[in-house]
Amino acid sequence: MSLQVEVTIMSGVDDGQHLDLALDNGDGQFDGRRWTLNIGRREDSDICLRHDMFVSRLHAHLHFDGSDWQLEDLNSTNGTFLEARGEDERVTGTVAIQPGQLFRIGRTWLQIEREP
Amino acid sequence: MTTILLRDILVNARQETVQMRHYYIGVEHLMIALLQIQGGLAGSILQEQGLTPDYVIEAIRRKAGKGSAQRMWVGIPTTPRAELVQDIAKEFALEDGRDEPNERDLLKAIVSERNSLPIRVLSALGVDLDWLAYAANTYLPTTEAYPPDTAITFGADFDRDFVIEREHLFILRRMFASYPRIRIERRLTGFRKALILVVTPIQADEREAAPVVAKIDLADNILDEVQRYEMHVKSALPLQAARLEDQPTAPDASDLAGIKYTLVASVGMDAQDLRSYVRAQGVDNLGQHLKQELYTRFCKNWWLQNREYTFQAWMEYDWLLPPLLVLDFADDTVPPPNAFVLRIPLNRAKARTRLHELQSGDVVILENFAVQRVDREENVLKLAMGYGSEADKRAHKVEVRGVNLTENLYYRGEIIERLVGRVWKTRHEMLMDAVHDLHPDFHPRQKWIPIGRGRVVNPLHVYEDLLDRHVTGSQSKIHGDLHLGNVLIGPNNSMWLIDFGHTRDGHTLFDWATFEVSLLGDAVMLGLDDSWDTARRVLRHLLALHGKVTPPVDDEILPAIGVVSAIREIVGECLAVSNRWEEYYIALALCAIRAFTWKTMSLGGRRLMFLLAGLMALELSRPIQPDALTPSPEDIDFSVGPSASTPKTEVFHNLFSSDTPDEGITQPHPPDASRQMDEPES
Repeated sequence: MSLQVEVTIMSGVDDGQHLDLALDNGDGQFDGRRWTLNIGRREDSDICLRHDMFVSRLHAHLHFDGSDWQLEDLNSTNGTFLEARGEDERVTGTVAIQPGQLFRIGRTWLQIEREP
Repeated sequence: MTTILLRDILVNARQETVQMRHYYIGVEHLMIALLQIQGGLAGSILQEQGLTPDYVIEAIRRKAGKGSAQRMWVGIPTTPRAELVQDIAKEFALEDGRDEPNERDLLKAIVSERNSLPIRVLSALGVDLDWLAYAANTYLPTTEAYPPDTAITFGADFDRDFVIEREHLFILRRMFASYPRIRIERRLTGFRKALILVVTPIQADEREAAPVVAKIDLADNILDEVQRYEMHVKSALPLQAARLEDQPTAPDASDLAGIKYTLVASVGMDAQDLRSYVRAQGVDNLGQHLKQELYTRFCKNWWLQNREYTFQAWMEYDWLLPPLLVLDFADDTVPPPNAFVLRIPLNRAKARTRLHELQSGDVVILENFAVQRVDREENVLKLAMGYGSEADKRAHKVEVRGVNLTENLYYRGEIIERLVGRVWKTRHEMLMDAVHDLHPDFHPRQKWIPIGRGRVVNPLHVYEDLLDRHVTGSQSKIHGDLHLGNVLIGPNNSMWLIDFGHTRDGHTLFDWATFEVSLLGDAVMLGLDDSWDTARRVLRHLLALHGKVTPPVDDEILPAIGVVSAIREIVGECLAVSNRWEEYYIALALCAIRAFTWKTMSLGGRRLMFLLAGLMALELSRPIQPDALTPSPEDIDFSVGPSASTPKTEVFHNLFSSDTPDEGITQPHPPDASRQMDEPES
């Protein structure tokens, strides 16, 4: 199984930037069951949001089990959110997320791209 | 038309990004800059969809959020997406044989790249993106090609003493621009900027179209109402109901906007609101009509669509009371080390103690409050716990006066990390002022208010305990502002609701508590004098509804009490737990406290509201069902939950449970004995 994904930054100073992530390039961890990507402000994060002061050092995880994606908030200070009509929905613990669906880490919106 | 070039637009975009503390140029700044052009393309196009540029700008700012005080890079870079959008705009210009993109090229480029934040905001506001792309390509700004003024005439029922302001007339003419003439039949309600009229449009051949209800208000309120209607009301309306027609009319030249509601009724129908109806016809059979028409028609989709909901009363009712604090802006002050920090999320128990100790002039630091409204006319920043129409978001209001609103950018929904102010007034002082305005015949600080040989509780002693109470109730879609003026009555006593500006999901009984307060203030007190004696007489009739005393026979008051009784029957059907009236009494107590602070209610009405709040507090303090086997502790103890241990609550608890056991209004009680002062008046 080839583990790779494209994540796009959807707001902030890096709005529009595409991040190509692949296990083969050393992105994320695979524990035999699922692939996990780190999101945070730390330089060694797989998805590094260094310009957003509202992002925690280790803020959230994206998990992929080969078919479905999950988003996990790691008790971040300013929260992880899913886009919803009206107010954004705050994530506690782990929730399912679809490619194309927007999620917010601190102030930065992100999106997992649908497969080409 | 002058051509506005990309470089001109970038000047605005840079200013916007600095004010928002973003320090980069993103598509959101480009879009806002386009919308800020007076009479510009983007603004004109969105106006066709009934959106004002300011309304859209604020929605984009809310979505983006203000940056932090720290600047993390030098210069003002452009985001990859904004680069892309500008490249697309340049291609559009080149295709057209021009070197530099203009306003239209940029708008077309923003619309073609569908993933940007401003485009997502427009989509959430209900703008059809395909239509927008088409309009961006083809729209030609017209030079105000409106037909000659729509003539405005007035029907026989219009109150000639009421003057409609020029700005409102301007909006009306725009709303009915396709008719040569309109006739304003009557004014339903009118309060400050908000005006609701019944209007008959008349065609060129003198044929009359069906009358509609036209509402004019501040553009923000009208556009919020449209959003709310789409979200809450549209799918939940019974067949015969007022419906929103067309797009709102929101001209650039005015702060006001207008919408029309159709009544789905025969031409020539004379719609009248209940307040005027009661004045003209009295209240005979009104209770029956309310139950059969209004309640039966709306309950299935609204109040009976309820779900269990356990909440602390403040979550639904705190916003009704005066603000926690009114502050004078003092951001240049270095706060003393012991300055009171009022932080969202609020620790209510702690805040309650500190708020009571605050003196005028004390420094207070606010953290994480949301901007509810920027009132430029009064120069006041209105803050609350959050932003939105739900009651808990509007709780814990704080008003800040004297903010420099021209130099500092604030937008609705902004979360302000920190703001320093000095106390001007506390909620308690404002409530105390309201009681003084009633010219009480008792001491405003005493615990008990005498009623004949009995007494009720002084609401000023208990409102905080009421707010802390846990309520077992239900939530449903509610109208949110169900007063007599918002119910129309037509032929055969059919009834419609109008004005969905406050419709939301909330405590089911809020609507009926609001309605009872309105009924008491507007109908029951009508024609009665303003004296405390009369207010007490009416209260005794209300008490009779609780079966505690034999109903007095007072022909002046009884028919109206019959209507209150009908409301209570409706409430009985909506209670979350049958026969557990605490849920309603707490709603009514807090709605009544709000009402006695209203300057617009008659003095007699406000006096009655004060006493009613006291009666409800008294009812809440003891077992409501005398026939129940054993009253649960909640029936007696006001203070369920963590706040039970605070000293103030103890005092309050004693007030009800041990001081005078099982005593209420009917027990003989010498008024003099209750005239002991709680504390000296400062």
